[in-house]
Amino acid sequence: MIELEKMGRPAVAIVSGRFEKDAVASSRAFGMPDLQWVVVPRIYRNLEPEFSISQTEDAIDDLIGSLTSSIDERKSGIDTENTLRYEGTDRYDAILRMNTELNNEDLGDGLFLYPATPEAVAGMLTGTKLPPDHVVCDMPPGFGVATVEKIAINSVMAGAKPEHLPVVIAAVKALSKLQKDGGKSLLMSTSPQAPLLIVNGPLTKQLGVNPRSALGPGRDNQVNTVIGRAFLLCFRNIGYWYPGHMDMDTIGTTRKFIQCIGENEDMSPWDGFHVDQGFKADESTVSVFVTDGELDVQDQGNHTAEGLLRNLAYGCIFGTRSLQSKKGGGQRLILMPPDVARPVGAQGFSKQAAREFIQEHAVGSLGQMIEYMPLEGEARVTEEWKWLEKLTPKQRLEISINVMDSPSDCYIVVVGADRAKTAVFPSGPAPVTEGIDQYMA
Amino acid sequence: MHLLEVNNPVAVQRGVLNALKASPRPQSLEGKTVGLLWSGTHGGDIALNRAGEMLQERFGGVKVNFYNGNNYPAPPPIVRQAGEECDVVIGATAD
Repeated sequence: MIELEKMGRPAVAIVSGRFEKDAVASSRAFGMPDLQWVVVPRIYRNLEPEFSISQTEDAIDDLIGSLTSSIDERKSGIDTENTLRYEGTDRYDAILRMNTELNNEDLGDGLFLYPATPEAVAGMLTGTKLPPDHVVCDMPPGFGVATVEKIAINSVMAGAKPEHLPVVIAAVKALSKLQKDGGKSLLMSTSPQAPLLIVNGPLTKQLGVNPRSALGPGRDNQVNTVIGRAFLLCFRNIGYWYPGHMDMDTIGTTRKFIQCIGENEDMSPWDGFHVDQGFKADESTVSVFVTDGELDVQDQGNHTAEGLLRNLAYGCIFGTRSLQSKKGGGQRLILMPPDVARPVGAQGFSKQAAREFIQEHAVGSLGQMIEYMPLEGEARVTEEWKWLEKLTPKQRLEISINVMDSPSDCYIVVVGADRAKTAVFPSGPAPVTEGIDQYMA
Repeated sequence: MHLLEVNNPVAVQRGVLNALKASPRPQSLEGKTVGLLWSGTHGGDIALNRAGEMLQERFGGVKVNFYNGNNYPAPPPIVRQAGEECDVVIGATAD
């Protein structure tokens, strides 16, 4: 719509009620706060045709008005400038009030927030050599201006320490490099995509980022949790990833309590993931993956490399498949525990060979992946797949297809404690790895 | 009483700093060409086609062009074509 307005053509979008806040946030994010739209109550996609027609008829006067009348900017109601002030009977009471108000305004994650006093922010800024007004990037999906100071404020609120700040800065920068637009469409999806941060290199140990049972709450994962939380608060308050505004998830996921984990390089038979991404082993990096699900792949007794990898490949098959492009295969992030990685490596598989084996053997039924999609009339089935419409459901079930189009769609990171339990995440687009050392004090 | 002052965590959006203005609107849609830009999502086509019909019922000489973008956002060539061939454009993501 904005591109049409830039061409001098009045443009109006029809949006459903749940997406109105998204429309406000998006129009501001993409540079045209007075972009116009009309609101209908329900989402069209799964609506019966008669309701689609009637709710459109109800909106026609607004539609004509938006195309022919003078227009105004829509206000977001979000304050970005002022110092925030909270009064209480004592300091503790004031902090509790701050928590109530910030969480009610959805500027937190629902948990206790630390007060970002000027003194605390100044302390946090000692963690980097960059000046406070340095702009790291415009952070997607809302493209807020990510200054070092704003990243530091959110890091204080998360309970992070100054030495964590360079990791958070690097992760914010990495997110902005996802795809050519920062992955904004993906991050705004109605599906539960969420970033996962993985740290490699010497900083993993120096900071205490846990590479073993690394996902979840508790003592061992304090650093993992707090860095992930700092990134999450940046994502919300700088990237405008607020539910109902620019995070349009239908159900949500606990993966949106973003976690930061380390790779278990000591127990890996291979180079670290950052080396795969072109960094030196002694450099510290953070990689941003976007995940879309999680499956525990158990292995009960395999001890040969091929057995372990075949079982793992089978675990990669779950999920549906897009018919929006000729290939359309998915990506998989595999958090492989040492008890799988080490025998695989010891029996002669390089990491690349393991990726190739998994991709080759992760084969499923195309019919099952698309079984319940109505192919007819859905324009998102591209021409390359239109031939499927001529087949019976049974014929579609008999077609085998690789879940991943290429071994490069399979990412292996060694993480975990003892036991052959692998975590497989549908993921994509390709992860971005950013060096951390450049941001350190 | 204790007054707690904290720094604001919310960043200004780049799009607000560099805001563009929407185009001037015509007085009427009489005789105009209206583009209907579909994202390819179920139901959006029904909405757009009904909107187009109603505009033709209300205004004389309205011509309607339908464009299938097949995605959201629509590919730039489709958007450009709609912008070149139409006076105003209506879109629907339907999602």
